[in-house]
Amino acid sequence: MRNIIFALLAIFTFAQCSPKTSTTLSDKDYDAPEIAADASSTNPSDFRSKAPKAGPAPEIQIGTYEAFDLANGLKVILVENHKTPIVSFQLTLDNDPVMEKEFAGYSDMAGDMLTKGTKNRTKAQMDEEIDFIGGSLNSSGSGMFASSLTKHSDKLLGLMSDALLNPIFPQKEFEKMKKRTISGIQSAKDDPNTIAGQVGAVLRNGSSHPYGEIATEKTVESITLDKCKSYYNTYFKPNAAYLVIVGDMTLADAKTAANKFFGAWEKGDVPSHSYKKPTYPSETQVAFVDKPGAVQTVISVTYPVDITPGHPDAIKASLTNAILGGGGFSGRLMQNLREDKAFTYGARSSLRTDPLAGRFAAGASVRNEVTDSSVVEFLYEMNRMRNKKVAAEDLQKTKNIMTGSFARSLERPQTIARFALNTARYNLPKDYYANYLKNLNAVTITDVQAMARKYIRPSNAYVVVVGNKEEVADKLSGFAKSGKVDFYDNYGQPIKEATTEIAADLDAYKIVEKYVEAIGGKAKLKGVKDYIITMGVNAQGQDVLITQMGKLPNKYYMKAELPAMGIVAQEMIFDGTKGKMKGMQGNSDMDEKTIAGVKERINPFPEATYKEDGYKLELKGVENLYGKDAYKIEVISPSGKKSTEYYDVASGLKMRSMEKVEGPMGEQVSTTEYEDYRDVDGIKMPFVMSSKQGVLKMKEVEFNTNMSDDKFKVD
Amino acid sequence: MKFRFPTIFALILGFASANAQSSKIEFVEYDLDNGLHVILHEDHSTPLVAVSIMYHVGSKNENPNRTGFAHFFEHLLFEGSENIKRGEYSSYVESAGGTLNANTSHDRTFYYEIMPSNQLELGIWLESERLLHAKVENVGIETQREVVKEERRQRVENQPYGTWMEETFKRAYKEHPYKWPVIGSMAHLDAAVEKDYVDFYKTFYVPNNAVLSIAGDIDIEETKKYIDKYFAGIPKGTKAIPRPTVVEPPLAGEQRATIEDNVQLPAILQSYRIPGQGTEDSYAVEMLATLLARGESSRLHRSLVDGKQLALQIGAFPFSLEDSGLAVAFALVNAGVKLEDAEKEMEAVYEKVRNELISEKEFQKLRNQIENDFISGNTTIAGRAESLANYHMYFGKADLINNEIDRYMAVTREDIKRVANKYFVPSNRVVLYYVPKKDNP
Repeated sequence: MRNIIFALLAIFTFAQCSPKTSTTLSDKDYDAPEIAADASSTNPSDFRSKAPKAGPAPEIQIGTYEAFDLANGLKVILVENHKTPIVSFQLTLDNDPVMEKEFAGYSDMAGDMLTKGTKNRTKAQMDEEIDFIGGSLNSSGSGMFASSLTKHSDKLLGLMSDALLNPIFPQKEFEKMKKRTISGIQSAKDDPNTIAGQVGAVLRNGSSHPYGEIATEKTVESITLDKCKSYYNTYFKPNAAYLVIVGDMTLADAKTAANKFFGAWEKGDVPSHSYKKPTYPSETQVAFVDKPGAVQTVISVTYPVDITPGHPDAIKASLTNAILGGGGFSGRLMQNLREDKAFTYGARSSLRTDPLAGRFAAGASVRNEVTDSSVVEFLYEMNRMRNKKVAAEDLQKTKNIMTGSFARSLERPQTIARFALNTARYNLPKDYYANYLKNLNAVTITDVQAMARKYIRPSNAYVVVVGNKEEVADKLSGFAKSGKVDFYDNYGQPIKEATTEIAADLDAYKIVEKYVEAIGGKAKLKGVKDYIITMGVNAQGQDVLITQMGKLPNKYYMKAELPAMGIVAQEMIFDGTKGKMKGMQGNSDMDEKTIAGVKERINPFPEATYKEDGYKLELKGVENLYGKDAYKIEVISPSGKKSTEYYDVASGLKMRSMEKVEGPMGEQVSTTEYEDYRDVDGIKMPFVMSSKQGVLKMKEVEFNTNMSDDKFKVD
Repeated sequence: MKFRFPTIFALILGFASANAQSSKIEFVEYDLDNGLHVILHEDHSTPLVAVSIMYHVGSKNENPNRTGFAHFFEHLLFEGSENIKRGEYSSYVESAGGTLNANTSHDRTFYYEIMPSNQLELGIWLESERLLHAKVENVGIETQREVVKEERRQRVENQPYGTWMEETFKRAYKEHPYKWPVIGSMAHLDAAVEKDYVDFYKTFYVPNNAVLSIAGDIDIEETKKYIDKYFAGIPKGTKAIPRPTVVEPPLAGEQRATIEDNVQLPAILQSYRIPGQGTEDSYAVEMLATLLARGESSRLHRSLVDGKQLALQIGAFPFSLEDSGLAVAFALVNAGVKLEDAEKEMEAVYEKVRNELISEKEFQKLRNQIENDFISGNTTIAGRAESLANYHMYFGKADLINNEIDRYMAVTREDIKRVANKYFVPSNRVVLYYVPKKDNP
């Protein structure tokens, strides 16, 4: 088991490389010495001077598989391989993907829920039993996968079929899953490759195609358990599914097992969906995502292509792509950007066939200062594929590479299973894979150029760039037909540049005055003597109810409860001079620092009196937030606390505030977005306030209730 | 896929669960007169052959003023030889329908080609050229220097949590060369002169410091002839091969640090010093890591992920090395969770293992998990070639590929409790807090 170490090292993973190909080999270069050792006897070092000749080419055989159907329509594929006593079961749903819209992410969550509790087992029991046999069982929105040693396969299948047929979707597990999913989304925000992938998917496929949907914190937050159940009930049907068995199992045993464990699965109608195929953009665009502080830029030149699996162009186009940027070290992108220019550790391209939306993508991570030069080389190599015929030796070499790669893939029985599954799912000719090498080797120089002109489209591409905006963005405008760089957020939503010109006589105080006017006017706000606000927030899978009361000038009360559990998690009381905190960890007196913080938040409308209270304001410019121009103002409170506030240019309303707060890790920036302003007794209040910690929704707001001081008694 | 978990940690989890083999793997092994150790494994199930050489040189053999040399050398040894012009090395392999690569660790450097089996002789010739008379031109050195810098940016600097290995190792080791990262110092690479390259090559790239391991669709006798033809005439090394003898003293108490990085979720990483690979305790430590973090019923998962919902992801795995290693445990916490709280919970989990013998049932689970992993590993010829070379290089026993499982099965419940008490203690660890970089409002 020592190899675990090296597998791990592969992460850091100082893998290798190769050099610039200045010479291309043809068969004659292999005219080397005889195999026998004595061939070298005339001159002891002669035998080394040339590469040895290959022996007769071995026959490449594609392994066989068996297929049968169950009465309920489940199609079973078996690839027998008895080399090791291991067997795996992969269930693949064959439904059209669904549009998830504002609930993006629910099909994956529905799949995840299958192993989170069944009629027969809690999640903990399920985990325990799987782990006990040393096996694995995973589920997703598109199926399930399980594997174990052969001797445990009955047990394994029992667990798999229980999860598949009897899930009960426990609310508690659902909330946990949601929280983890959101954390997962957050953690991916700093991975430039994830960002480039997401933005590319959105740009290529658009918002009305399922491939263009991205799960965000917001969409996952909106997912309900019913959405998940309904997805499961509609799409997990045997007549629209394949069970692929690979490994140490005979046909007879596979039939018995499939019937025993999946025979009771009831068939049902599965709705079909069709989508308009995305088309490539009419002109090349540059899509930039800012990643402040990045030391490298991730570049992806991408666009949709219309090639379905088994399409007559598929093999020819795949060969064409391999010449440009296929794996290994011989692709032109690798040779150019790495071995010749040393811009990157690796540059590659890929062309993916898909029944709904294929795609081309060429990419690399390059150092900041060569970002624009790298884009030049990507476009140059793409154009060269179109404009110049490929040399015969290059074509032959790439055919050899692809033949070798095909042969190597056959070492794994999973490859045979994949071939069988693809043949069935995509209605490929029965001999598609058997004829693959023959068809590959028949591709001509003319074919390659025709494919390049059809599918390599440097003038119809999205050049997606994730990097350090300050250092690299402005050098990229020349690559866009429009002559300008378009900015996007992590999820592929456009960030517009602000267009508002700041009027000469405008200053920060005037902007705040306008805001005060917009939410009800100074007199109205100053007329607020007390208030009660209740808000709900879902934090870490729990519904939390927060009640805030304040009586001006200096009394404050806050309570956070968990209604589901009937407990009060925290209370804060401040009577104007001293304060107390009560919580599950016990009670304590407020310290100086906390009191100072509380005092600053008693007044719900400090903006109304910024000037007279001695706040220092400075107008920092205009930025575009979600398509709206907003003034950015730096605010320094009388106690010296700094924050930044954004006010909508058009409506005057506050859109965002950012302040430094003491977080779990010390000082952090907390950002709050204000939305959904509604009128309460003539005052506009934001009914939705969202931050990284969660989305606060106002339930009730009351002003001037003639509150008694008793409510703020500190005992 | 519409969302995903962070790459590095996903990778670790993915990797931490594989290896080894059940049905007996037959092989022959012998030494050439020049000291080259040869291992041959014959398997005709697919017409492929894996030709590999493992050199017993890694970052720990480097001159402290030339760190990163072992890895840099690995890049340079694709540049060519007396008989192979710059650029031709990979071209030979790929034109023949093969693939090639190499990688470098703290302890060794590994090169391989996987080819159609009729290209066996080509693979042997290529590796013999690399060993006998590699040739590196200046243009190659300049290019690969930049490529390595990009590699570092891509894998370390621009990767969330990407610095964790260097941050950990420099605190876990003060004396031993494990203290510097495999990729080394870019300044050292810039400062290297020709003599450095020649010395390194003549010292470490010698047959008596290498294992040639070939697996796949081969005929043993024919393969031996080829090996004899291309390798027997390569002279044995004449220089002493320096190996670090320094024994790293125990940690001077717990080492803690907070690292600011471009990450969204804070993470805690604990690394406990453990004995070198192959020692009796190392097997018990690996079973302990399995107990802690393998599967959703594992101790850390149940308590931090499922139970208290403090963590998005947890993991534990031994980072075993030749001279000594680290057992790493980590938690990537959920939004809003304090690292201190996660750490407290991790500590409670260890405390229980230190104090209570695990149940017979849980012990049987561990054994089943280990058995599953051992049997699922080494199913490819390339994997087998590498494992055989590893087992010989580190333990002098290639047959461990068949029976290393016995060493795990010899571990008792008491051993697991014992190593938890011996190694999983605060004074024996480095603790890193990864936190999001502060930005300005």
